[in-house]
Amino acid sequence: MLRKATGVLSFDISDGASTAHWSVVLKKGDVLVSRAHDEADCVVTTDRPLFDGIVRGEKNAMAAVLRGEVAVEGDTELLVLFQRVFAGPAESVRRREVAVAGRSS
Amino acid sequence: MSEGLVQILDGNTFVVSDSRGDIEASLTDPTGLFSFDTRFLSKWILTLDGERLNPLSVDDLQYFETRFFLVPGTGTVYVDAKLSVIRRRAVGDGFHEELTILNHDDKPVEITVRIEAASDFADLFEVKDALKKQGKYSNSVENGSLRLGYSRETYRRATSISSSAPAIFDETGLTLVAQIEPHGVWTTDLDVVTAVGVGGTYTTPKYHRKGRKARPNMESSLDKWLEDAPRVESDWEPLKSTYRRSLVDLAALRFAPPVMGGHSLPAAGLPWFMTMFGRDSIFTSLQSLPFTPELAATTLLALGDWQGSRLDDFRDEDPGRILHEMRYGEMTAFEERPHSPYYGAADATLLYVVLLDEYERWTGDRKLVRDLEQQARAALAWIDEYADLMGNGYVSYKRRNEKTGLENQCWKDSWDSISFSNGEIPGFPRATCELQGYAYDAKVRGARLARLVWKDEAYADRLEHEAADLKRRFNRDFWVEDGEYFALALDSDGKQVDALSSNNGHLLWSGIVDKKKAKAVAANLMGPRLFSGWGIRTLAEGEGRYNPIGYHVGTVWPFDNSFIAWGLRRYGFKDEAAQIAAGILDAADYFQGRLPEAFGGYARELTKYPVQYPTACSPQAWSTGAPLLLLRTMLGLEPIGDNLLIDPVLPQGIGRLELLDIPGRWGKIDAFGRGRVHVAGRRSRRQLGLAEEIMPKQKRKNGKKARVTA
Repeated sequence: MLRKATGVLSFDISDGASTAHWSVVLKKGDVLVSRAHDEADCVVTTDRPLFDGIVRGEKNAMAAVLRGEVAVEGDTELLVLFQRVFAGPAESVRRREVAVAGRSS
Repeated sequence: MSEGLVQILDGNTFVVSDSRGDIEASLTDPTGLFSFDTRFLSKWILTLDGERLNPLSVDDLQYFETRFFLVPGTGTVYVDAKLSVIRRRAVGDGFHEELTILNHDDKPVEITVRIEAASDFADLFEVKDALKKQGKYSNSVENGSLRLGYSRETYRRATSISSSAPAIFDETGLTLVAQIEPHGVWTTDLDVVTAVGVGGTYTTPKYHRKGRKARPNMESSLDKWLEDAPRVESDWEPLKSTYRRSLVDLAALRFAPPVMGGHSLPAAGLPWFMTMFGRDSIFTSLQSLPFTPELAATTLLALGDWQGSRLDDFRDEDPGRILHEMRYGEMTAFEERPHSPYYGAADATLLYVVLLDEYERWTGDRKLVRDLEQQARAALAWIDEYADLMGNGYVSYKRRNEKTGLENQCWKDSWDSISFSNGEIPGFPRATCELQGYAYDAKVRGARLARLVWKDEAYADRLEHEAADLKRRFNRDFWVEDGEYFALALDSDGKQVDALSSNNGHLLWSGIVDKKKAKAVAANLMGPRLFSGWGIRTLAEGEGRYNPIGYHVGTVWPFDNSFIAWGLRRYGFKDEAAQIAAGILDAADYFQGRLPEAFGGYARELTKYPVQYPTACSPQAWSTGAPLLLLRTMLGLEPIGDNLLIDPVLPQGIGRLELLDIPGRWGKIDAFGRGRVHVAGRRSRRQLGLAEEIMPKQKRKNGKKARVTA
């Protein structure tokens, strides 16, 4: 059968001259984030403004990968699973709140 | 696909050319080398001494390989050529072309061989909609190869072309000189390699690194694929060839999403829909479960990975929602299209749970059901939290992306598919009936899995309670009293969209129909307004928008019919199910075993043969899967615990049907079916045809049960 959704993601996020490193361990739904240099199954390289945009829900990770703004090496399934934790556009959430409020009234 | 075009493919890489093997694309012309929804080659023209070639024949060796036999000379008069040319082309990560020139003369020759090459790097969406490019092109000659490049901001795509024989490259192609002895042969290997740029570098396909030639990834596995599938034996020969065609086409339709580590799921259609679709991949996985259960496993895992996790109006994404379509081209990259992925389907999420349960029932693979517990729960939660747009307890849809989202988010997705009897079109949101059936089935099946695998009694009880409540309300609110069938939908005011449609068959399949209503529903399905003699029309004759060649308003869809046959069996209408199987399989024989997406809804006695509806893709996955599901329904295969129940009812004309080595939780098992009446000395007919005594019109009025076998 297919491999389990478990593995180590490494994020290398460049910010001008410096590069910040984060390690994300996925284990069957659990997520552990640290600065450790674990051996990674998937290496993700991008820059700080884009990464912050993705985390805040202003940018979409998959589209950024297709544009070549985010480099992914190794087991891309791990990135697909991890990107689920990022927020969606704030505007979409507001619209939903309005829609639900309108429906029940 | 246009006349005279030749296509070969491997996964989502495919080549469409003319019968000479040449590619001469324009922005609107769909020829070229495509990969990941991008055209990597739009011009590839071969000349010898400045002249184009004439095709003698095309030999489709495999779905990933073809051979063109050509001669020089133009004009209509056949010239006794002193040369002949063979282009043997195979798709891999790009393509490989072996170009051979044979000199039939007793004198040596020297020929200038020229290949013009170019790429427009068009997105598939641009090819469909004829849109202009925004980036820059750059062609360069480097290290004995030609590199065609395209860039827009950080987005980069390139095609590199190389030759084994010495060649002179320039920015528009390559030139070779072939010196051939009398009766000699000259050959060169041409490689066309696609590359995707990431952060200033390019990822080069694996074979390139190892110095291997471009070649298909799936060649070796086709034989194994056919060998591993169950075998069909029957005295009705066309069934065997239709079955084989289906298996080969299903192999061609396999697509390994980049995240799935080489495992495949069924893509929707070839070549333009070689990507992951929630609905199509799930339906095809359901159809093929008794034959190739691994497709279902990959479908469940891949769609589970991409399950929606947030609200995103542009992508019509909600938490728990299963995707509709995934694309990888430039317009998706720059968010000019929402397919990264796009979630605008109202049925895929419901069907996801149905497939997970059906998969467990066949394979006994509880580990996968445990691994996907979170995804299944999120899908079930989506039904009530996000899909009940009108707050009336029914699943409905209305797109939030009003620019590039889909209006109709059910399988009948054309603009006029959902209509009242009088032809009027309802507003949004729309709660189509089959969605309620799928939601019911998802809850019932989810409850079974909760009890059996997730060990959560309270959750199972809750789901069952909700399902029962939905069924009760549905049978009250959707039932069209005077016609004795279920309305196509409820509109935004809760009013019945009262056209009679094939969707009633999906309701039988889902189990949402009250037992006492089932007989009337089956009678409507098999009645003359819906049943054409070949199959059940999408919309009944006599409805305002009925049109026998209207996409979802009168044509017969083989996929639709295969699920209707399953539904008829579920409620005990075995003869009627066999009748549908007979009609669709007869039609398949007319199409050389490859069922189209849809064919005309004309009455069978009127046209005598099924009239194909013109579509862009062939084969289509769920049409390919239809004969498989019909085999299942004819044999009455149903997993019960660790056993496979076999309850065959065959159409007239099939005396014997055997399905051998059916894989499942029982290991491998054989199923045998015999026609109920044996007529000594009678040969099986070429066509299964209509049994005299089942012209449903008359019989139904007498209230007698239709019979298929004599």
